[in-house]
Amino acid sequence: MADTLTPLRDSAFMQAFLDLVIPPSDDGKLPGAGSLDLASGVAGQLEADPALGPFVVAGLQAVHDAALARDPAGLSGLPQQARVEVVEAQVGAHPMLMIGLGLHLYPAYYQHPRVLEGLGEPPRPPFPDGYDLEETDPQLLEKLRDRQRA
Amino acid sequence: MPNEPVGVMIIGAGASGAAFAWRIADMGMSVLCLEQGPWMKQSDYPSNHLDWESRGMGAFATSPNVRKLPADYPVNEQDSAISPLMFNAVGGSTILWAAHFPRFTPPDFRVKSEDGVADDWPIDYETLEPFFAINDRMMGVSGMAGDPAYPYHEPPLPPLPLGKTGNTLAAGFEKLGWHWWPSDSAVTSREYGGRAPCINLGACISGCAQGAKASTDITYWPAAQRKGVQIRTGCRVREITVRADGMADGVLYYDEEGNLQEQKAEIVVLACNGIGTPRLLLNSKSPQHPDGLANSSGLVGKNLMFHPYAAILGIFDEPLGGRRGPTGCSLWSHEFYKTDRSRGFVRGYSFEAVRGFAPAQTALWGMARGMVPWGEGHHEAYARIYDRTTGILAITEDLPEETNTVTLDPELTDSHGIPAPKINYKLSENSQQMLAHAVERAKEALTAAGAVETLAEPLMSTAGWHLMGTARMGKDPKTSVVNEWGRAHDVKNLFIIDGSIFVTAGGVNPTSTIQALALYVADSIKKNIETLFD
Repeated sequence: MADTLTPLRDSAFMQAFLDLVIPPSDDGKLPGAGSLDLASGVAGQLEADPALGPFVVAGLQAVHDAALARDPAGLSGLPQQARVEVVEAQVGAHPMLMIGLGLHLYPAYYQHPRVLEGLGEPPRPPFPDGYDLEETDPQLLEKLRDRQRA
Repeated sequence: MPNEPVGVMIIGAGASGAAFAWRIADMGMSVLCLEQGPWMKQSDYPSNHLDWESRGMGAFATSPNVRKLPADYPVNEQDSAISPLMFNAVGGSTILWAAHFPRFTPPDFRVKSEDGVADDWPIDYETLEPFFAINDRMMGVSGMAGDPAYPYHEPPLPPLPLGKTGNTLAAGFEKLGWHWWPSDSAVTSREYGGRAPCINLGACISGCAQGAKASTDITYWPAAQRKGVQIRTGCRVREITVRADGMADGVLYYDEEGNLQEQKAEIVVLACNGIGTPRLLLNSKSPQHPDGLANSSGLVGKNLMFHPYAAILGIFDEPLGGRRGPTGCSLWSHEFYKTDRSRGFVRGYSFEAVRGFAPAQTALWGMARGMVPWGEGHHEAYARIYDRTTGILAITEDLPEETNTVTLDPELTDSHGIPAPKINYKLSENSQQMLAHAVERAKEALTAAGAVETLAEPLMSTAGWHLMGTARMGKDPKTSVVNEWGRAHDVKNLFIIDGSIFVTAGGVNPTSTIQALALYVADSIKKNIETLFD
């Protein structure tokens, strides 16, 4: 029933689309954006974004429709290369699609615990544990001491 | 029931209002501060949460036009090359600032004498020096004594660690033989006055959950309250009221419930900074002051100065750990601070090294620059810049121009119907030349430090932190709004203590100088109390 849903609420479509935007990394350390259950949050933000949301939704609708025209299952039913072709064919006519989506998707993705772990960052808020920081190079400080105003 | 009259009423509880309140409190008069924002809670700051970066772009965004919180007022910035930033709360913009804490240098107070442009201040560095020192102790400043760019002074705390980003950049400056020094930073490097030391959260500009970064809600205000100063939050002043003789006698303000209140005071002190202060003066028209309060010179709202910023970034081949540590506090350089006319501009700029971008910020920055594509190649492109990017900000000295203004918008109002400010600001040719010079020099420094690629944002249009000049000080009532100790020429019981009284802007962050001025004005009032209204 993919064709009766708006693209934002078509979970199979959104999962496939988000995985195209940020696919899993080749080394497997970083997951695809579609596998992180980000779609509903991103959809909600787009619906609440009067400036860019309508342009993104229009672009998603165009991709959604174009994919359905190629396969009854829509985007998720297409092989990988065909998915890319469908999206690329619509990006020119919908220039705000990827920018508008990225403004909401990238923060959601890059603050996800699995992604932080994949980047080698601890998956926790900065506070209260904080972070270690390399001390000032003592040789640099020594040079400054030679120049100190008395 | 009417409010009890007070001796001194301060409008605004930010950097200057807090310092002034603490200093004036022992004069023996009752002191009240009205603040339109709330008290902040460190437990509410974004760095308590995993999605701290997103929160920093929403309710803790630096632009009031983005946040749109109840405490905020809108600013019409359509005709401004730079968007003004501010925060409205107890602590004001120190809640979200980076706490980079340079003082103005002695020549910054005599620009006309030095270079034949703009004007000299009616006071000098030496006059403010004792107040700089007091302020450093109150704010808890970390730094290294002996910077040859300044008269000798000793910050109360040792400098913050530079980290790998700072070490790397410092090595670049060394290679070129350029001046650099660890920044004076209003961030505690050790436990100090009940404040915990910095633990490198990397989230300074969305509020410091650790309390290591000085914001005046945790520095001056507790001390001022212990001296008996009252602070009333959620109170937005509509106008300053005047007596038949034109002297100020109090304010009309909206309280937290939206009720219009009247508050009488013997002395009124404005501490709303370079946009809020002229806005309130212009909104305080009366038959005695038909062009706005204290505006017989016609200069209220004129000569608006920002610091036009350029951001110059370098991409390196190795991880730098730059998302950690106090974001804007590392090292500074005054190599190009003084006028050299062969460069094609007068005055100069400072460099402020920053650290790095957090994960989401890296992705958004990379996307905006077309460096991080969607689809295949996304991760490879991201990995090239994440944790490998650091940079330098150039803070250029803006010269005063009467055509750069804060006026009242004829239509836009805040939630109480009070006319909102409108900004008209154009970047001068001098500033453009200076920015272009700074970009090239910063690229040199980054390359010398080992950057494999450099990029520049030649004008940061969303970095209007520093709001100065719109009620300038001076000895002549025809060419200035307040006298040499902050008293309005036209209204002798009205004082202004914020960045609006700056005559020139210097090429460094202004808060240290704003607070030193506020302390100095407080002491001047105490010293002149017998003849204050003469």
